Amino acid sequence: MNRRIALRHLALISGGLALIPSCDFSSDDILAAYDKLKVTASQKTLLGDISNTIIPAGEIKGALDLEVPDFILVMINDCYTAENQALFTKGFAAFPDYVKKTGGSNFEKLDTKKKEEIIQAGTKLEGGETEEGQTNKAISYFLNTTKRFTIQGYMASEYIQTEVIPYSLIPGEYNGAVLITDLQKPRING
Amino acid sequence: MANLNIRSKQERTYEAIVVGSGISGSWAAKELCDLGVKTLMIERGRNVEHIKDYPTTNLLPYEFPHRGQMPQEVKDANPVVSKCYAFNEDAAHFFVKDAEHPYVQEKPFDWIRGYQVGGKSLLWARQVQRWSEFDFEGPARDGFAVDWPIRYKDIASWYSHVEKFAGVSGNKDGLPNLPDGEFLPGYELNVVEKYFAEQLKKHYGNDRHMISSRCAHIHGNADYYAQQGRAMCQNRNLCQRGCPFGGYFSSNSSTIPWALKTGNLTLRPDAIVHSVIYDEELGKATGVRIIDAHTKEMEEFYAPVLFINAAALNTNLILLNSTSNRFPNGLGNDNGLMGKYVAFHNYRARVSGEYEGLSEYATSGGRPTSGYFPRFRNVYKQETDFLRGYAAGFSGGRGVRSDNSGIGMELKESLLNPDQYGPWRVGSHMMGETIPKETNYVALDENLKDPYGMPQLKINIDYDDNDEKMTKDYIEQMTEMFEKAGFTNIQSSDSKQAPGLDIHEMGGIRMGRDPKTSLLNANHQLHAVPNVYVTDGASMTSTSTQNPSLTYMAFAARAAHHAVAESKK
Repeated sequence: MNRRIALRHLALISGGLALIPSCDFSSDDILAAYDKLKVTASQKTLLGDISNTIIPAGEIKGALDLEVPDFILVMINDCYTAENQALFTKGFAAFPDYVKKTGGSNFEKLDTKKKEEIIQAGTKLEGGETEEGQTNKAISYFLNTTKRFTIQGYMASEYIQTEVIPYSLIPGEYNGAVLITDLQKPRING
Repeated sequence: MANLNIRSKQERTYEAIVVGSGISGSWAAKELCDLGVKTLMIERGRNVEHIKDYPTTNLLPYEFPHRGQMPQEVKDANPVVSKCYAFNEDAAHFFVKDAEHPYVQEKPFDWIRGYQVGGKSLLWARQVQRWSEFDFEGPARDGFAVDWPIRYKDIASWYSHVEKFAGVSGNKDGLPNLPDGEFLPGYELNVVEKYFAEQLKKHYGNDRHMISSRCAHIHGNADYYAQQGRAMCQNRNLCQRGCPFGGYFSSNSSTIPWALKTGNLTLRPDAIVHSVIYDEELGKATGVRIIDAHTKEMEEFYAPVLFINAAALNTNLILLNSTSNRFPNGLGNDNGLMGKYVAFHNYRARVSGEYEGLSEYATSGGRPTSGYFPRFRNVYKQETDFLRGYAAGFSGGRGVRSDNSGIGMELKESLLNPDQYGPWRVGSHMMGETIPKETNYVALDENLKDPYGMPQLKINIDYDDNDEKMTKDYIEQMTEMFEKAGFTNIQSSDSKQAPGLDIHEMGGIRMGRDPKTSLLNANHQLHAVPNVYVTDGASMTSTSTQNPSLTYMAFAARAAHHAVAESKK
């Protein structure tokens, strides 16, 4: 929680600095909280859109409701090697052009179905020796990593683990031969 | 100016001093205190009080900022401890960071340490199998190391003594190579593990067994353990965080609070023992010199009986650093063998597979243990081209997963309603006996010092040809057993991990019958300085295959009673 508060403060500081008289809305502040990634505010918005496409809101909250983009960036900033961070940011930076090329528009303007198609196709891109191949490899890495951390950040969130599928610190006595048909399914209206 | 640290010698004198508060030290202290001995227990790390100092124990998964994973910066700064399977966000505070206590790796050695009250007893894997006669007679029968000066009959009653108090769950399996003990009800093997055990009987007769591993968890007799303030194990499997129930044995939950309750224990954390003080006129050890971890000032404590239980390699370090005119090469080191014949357990290889059968079953709940293969190689006679053998862990499991290939509402539905069972996954890892050798040694570095001014330990330990053959045999045999059981997709791997990562380093101050070839006698006393006892891993003459902590507990209890009996003579 402290981290999130700190992030907000940093965002504010960063926003404050941007108040230096300028009407250039294209200037895009780098978010200081993820110091190793050089992620801009608009990139974070894009990441939110991607993660919310991967796990959208419905009756049960979606990825964006649970601040999953923040989790993704924290994990990559803190737990990844410099090499993998570089690959992730390269793919992240290349993704908007890839969307325009394959979808004909900015990501946020596409409909849900098209967004899903682009992400799914992007996760399967194959790399190669050429510059395009290298870029494709980075895009695929970016999308697969984002998908993986979206799933982890979503499922291991306080909301899911308290309100949807409550996590128990005390799992109960072991039964080493329980019939699957007897197991109570945590049936959720997803 | 007055030095506030200087207190009268009388105030710093006790009836016994125990160096180290881990499994073996706390057992020595507990027994001494129960016998009415005023005991000082010295620990180099900070105090960790049961429950109060387990900051992560009740945290939920989402309360860990990286969901358990260690940040890359920490990994980069700590290449050694980062290799340990338990060095994660929930327990990292109980591990020594690399820079805190540097050492010299003449050969790669991953030295995993826990410097706090309770030591590694907070972090251990809690597996407690007894040694058998076959293990104690190993060196004599096979002609390596030296003969153990004790046999199973000397230690059996002490195993019972410590098992009862610590709380050991297990089944009476009736195996001569893995004696039964004082067990609380054992944990159940699951349906695929039972199937495998039956297959072994079918294919190997009565030669190979896979049993529920005996573990130091309270699984019954709750009233008895309530006297220690401990409760039944809740199957949380979060042991490395420290258990608020005291469900598994740790010094912090069991022996230390018990010893404190007698009124006979004084606990002195944050004190690094520099050396043992030897009085040349008396011909005895009279106390220890400590370095205060905060002020770095040296102070002395005195007692007629000393237990050095600082964990195997640090016990070597302290005694090698305890020099005097009489013992220029380390306390009691007349034969020059101190620090030599160090050995460990070979944990390099794993075999895994799948089982398509029993597909109607899964498991529910949790348990703190799994399956165990006692050693079956070379038990009754030499039968392979390598000496000794290996034990192995075994477990089967079948978790439910979701199909994560989709996206959007389809993926969400799948994640929230996991129903993919797939086949059972089965896996095994080896625990091989290694042969102590003079060339596997630790010694003091002549130049390098640690942050407290202590000489750094040079570690020179490696695998040998016997270990290579044994690793190969484990993979071949386990693969064959998996095949005979009808397991599929069988994979094996040899991590070639450096010694040390097993966290079962042993020896250097070995027991033996002859002062010319060993350091300790049958009662764990230094041959040359009998009021100094060593009952931790340093005392091990050979390693066998069993997880060693239970044996250290039994050694410590036995030696403590010996020390008290001697003092009354």
